[in-house]
Amino acid sequence: MEEYAREPCPWRIIDDCGGAFSMGCIGGGLVHSILGARNAPAGYKNRLVGSFLAVKHKAPVVGGNFAVWGGLFSTFDCALVHIRKKEDPWNSITSGAMTGAVLAARNGVFAMAASATVGGVLLAMIEGIGILMTRMSAEQFRPVNPQMEDPSQLGPKPTSFGDSQYQ
Amino acid sequence: MTDRTTEFDSNMDQQTFQPSSIFGAYGGGNSGLSVPVTSGLGSISPYMNVDPSYLNLGEPQFIIPSGQARTRGRFEFFFSHIGGSVMTGAVYGGLNGLRLSISETKELKGKVKFSQMLTLVTKQGAASANVVGVIALMYSLFGLGLSWGRDTEDELNTIGAGTLTGLLYKSSAGVNKMLRGGAIGLGLSTAWCLYQSRDRLKATIGMN
Repeated sequence: MEEYAREPCPWRIIDDCGGAFSMGCIGGGLVHSILGARNAPAGYKNRLVGSFLAVKHKAPVVGGNFAVWGGLFSTFDCALVHIRKKEDPWNSITSGAMTGAVLAARNGVFAMAASATVGGVLLAMIEGIGILMTRMSAEQFRPVNPQMEDPSQLGPKPTSFGDSQYQ
Repeated sequence: MTDRTTEFDSNMDQQTFQPSSIFGAYGGGNSGLSVPVTSGLGSISPYMNVDPSYLNLGEPQFIIPSGQARTRGRFEFFFSHIGGSVMTGAVYGGLNGLRLSISETKELKGKVKFSQMLTLVTKQGAASANVVGVIALMYSLFGLGLSWGRDTEDELNTIGAGTLTGLLYKSSAGVNKMLRGGAIGLGLSTAWCLYQSRDRLKATIGMN
């Protein structure tokens, strides 16, 4: 594949859900393979078996949690794009906070507020880092000593060109 | 309405008095535009001077770069396939949890019943979503690896990925179950391949 572009909006939810699931599953598999081996009884074979069992039992759960987060986040993002008619960092931050609130909805109002804050701050950090990266990479392409054309050589601006036609 | 039309007429008069306007090239008259309004197929746009029957108004036509497949490959569909599988599994598990919760919370009432039902739906949904999603992830990874390793995209990749997925998914349940899982994967992927290439199969059978 040459380049990866994001899907248009309703399908982005499925795409983000799948991406989050794979990310969580593979990342959780790596983490739990180490944790399982550390937690297992001594012995080479025991550690291998413990690592395998930890991955088998915990990696899909991590992936599922990630998938719920990604899918909900993308759903809110698409809804905000539809309502506000624009795509900007505030969409992501708002949908991060809303996702956090919805996922903690069963734990009470205080937990919802805390989770929403965490989600919003997390997404604000991600968006901020993204904007910083864009600024820094854009700095490379700035011309060092741009030479402007002298506009005075063009003569005076013609004033009465199309006055009578474009009434 | 009438006022507007008179205003429009006076504007048109002004334009005809100015022969150097941008419309002057057409003779300045209103009847100067001699567009054939009648064609073989009814109305035609006076601005394009093209019979619209030459334009393709039917199915979309895509421009495909030379040397590229007509459909997107495995990598482009990687996340979509997994996400679709996860969501399908979640919906199935949620419905299954709802069915279970109706029978299991018969003696409960009010808030407790609602809470119990919600717990069952979310737990069942998450469990099936994880199972289906993991199978889809394994299949996609194997398919991706096979198509990159062999550098081709054909039915053998699908069948191989299905078989390997079945083997890996049941690899912790003993050799017998593992082989059974591989056989199920082989059967499902073969059935899918046969379904996909049913037109070609029909043609081959018809030739013989």
